[in-house]
Amino acid sequence: MIDNKLFLTYQSSLLSGSRSGCTQIVNGLIKSEISIKELYINLFQRSMYEVGTLWEQNKISVATEHLCTSVTEYLISLCYPSIFSAEHTGKKAIITCTPGEYHQIGARMVADYFELHGWDGYYLGADTPADELIKFTTEKLPDLMAISISVSFNHANLLRLVDKIRHTFPDLTILVGGQGFRWGGDEAFQSLENIYLIRSLDELETKFLNPQAT
Amino acid sequence: MMPETSPILADYIMRDSTMVFLIIGKEGNILESNNFTDALVGKKLKGLALNELFIDFGKALDLDQLLKESTEKTLVNLSTAANLPETYYFRFYDLGNTILALGEANNYEIGLLRKSMLELNQELNNLTRELQKKNAELKKLNELKNQFLGIAAHDLRNPIGIIMGYSDFLLEELIEELTPDQIVMLETIQNTSEFMLHLLNELLDLSAIESGKLRLEKQKSDISALIRKNITINGVIAAKKNIQIQMQSFESIPDVLFDENKIEQILNNLISNAIKFSLAGTTVRVNLFLTGDHVTVAVADQGQGIPPHEIDRLFKPFQVTSVKSTGGEKSTGLGLSIVRNIILGHGGKIWVESKVGVGSTFYFSLPLLRPSP
Repeated sequence: MIDNKLFLTYQSSLLSGSRSGCTQIVNGLIKSEISIKELYINLFQRSMYEVGTLWEQNKISVATEHLCTSVTEYLISLCYPSIFSAEHTGKKAIITCTPGEYHQIGARMVADYFELHGWDGYYLGADTPADELIKFTTEKLPDLMAISISVSFNHANLLRLVDKIRHTFPDLTILVGGQGFRWGGDEAFQSLENIYLIRSLDELETKFLNPQAT
Repeated sequence: MMPETSPILADYIMRDSTMVFLIIGKEGNILESNNFTDALVGKKLKGLALNELFIDFGKALDLDQLLKESTEKTLVNLSTAANLPETYYFRFYDLGNTILALGEANNYEIGLLRKSMLELNQELNNLTRELQKKNAELKKLNELKNQFLGIAAHDLRNPIGIIMGYSDFLLEELIEELTPDQIVMLETIQNTSEFMLHLLNELLDLSAIESGKLRLEKQKSDISALIRKNITINGVIAAKKNIQIQMQSFESIPDVLFDENKIEQILNNLISNAIKFSLAGTTVRVNLFLTGDHVTVAVADQGQGIPPHEIDRLFKPFQVTSVKSTGGEKSTGLGLSIVRNIILGHGGKIWVESKVGVGSTFYFSLPLLRPSP
């Protein structure tokens, strides 16, 4: 259980770039058999949302934001033994960032979420060129694709990318999401068939990963 | 304009600026420094020598030279509180009795570095993710392999038992009616079946060890007695090859906590190996002695010895050395790997010393029982 006091201690370690302080907290939580879902949503996601807000409000520098991202990415890797031990369902998803999108942590967490639910979550990384994505999709033939944008100025890149993918794979279900939709921008995708805007990891879980549970 | 702005600028430089600002005496002592420089270095610089701040790689700091170069920006490495040198771009101004030093970091350079570090870090994390995913997949495959191995070996034991039983029966009951060729054939069936059963038992052991199902039923026992018992059993086989087995124990050995069946299996493996690779007329010596808080067993032969480059793989599964047995005995390549795992499971150690042409000594040690506090 992550109470507010623990969260604030973690957040303070994160903002000061104390990898060892954060590691100690995360290892302690893993040892206490906390669910990966809670760790992802109530610690990693919440803290990085706050980091993003502090950056937007000019309360922390971009360097500090990058430091927090690096530390969080490392901490996420501590959860992998649990994430990758899930029973496989045989379903495959490709998770990627648009060209020009360098913030990858949200997309990576989505990829891990797929893995946690027994999917093969192929994660392609930040700033993935469209041609490489098409080539990889042709090889893997996924059941689903998820594309993330973390900053709103990548909306145009996302639209271009979606258009290109639909041209080659018209029936492929595509999920779009990320903090880039925080201030809107979803209307461009509403009329498109097989395209869904996902606003949270919970929504991803209930609508696509574990729909029978609802 | 300047006269009015000067105090404001001076105040800004001293309190808020992220520029290195120093007033230096002609002797190289720091007369004034701003807050940022003190924080960067991690101490108040006023009164200290300049060489406590400037890291001059390879040559002594020459202020006169620095002043001469001051028409150009000069790169100087600074010692910092973070214990990492930082490069600043300096200009030095001669103010008469003092020198003004102004230094700036190159933010463009730092930005590029940060971007590159960020990309490398992302790449590293993505590779870690891939690696961990592959590890999980391999772990699952290994579990499947162990399951398969266990099931296959278990199910093959019964038919082999039947083959052994009937060949025994034929050799015992019909020996009078069999031709010499038929007897040889039946003995071959019997020997091969025995080897197959031995192999299957070792595969089952290995599968249990690899899947973490090795169960040790440890109890306080007399290891000397167990060694003597095993020497008696192996003595029969040794005698057939004209090899002697001797036991030496000069100390009183206390009871040790171990799984009797498993340690017997180890003794049998090491002693029968020693016989297997020894020549006629030689002696196999089994020594038992105390070493600190362990009891150590050494099985030494006067055999052919193991080439040094093969020693490392001795305890790995499915590894057979180039050393040939002296009586045509077969090896599964699994025995020593199982032995090692059983010893490790007891919290002990196993090692070997060997010299080609002289012989080999296999040692294993088990922890002694700690006296109750």
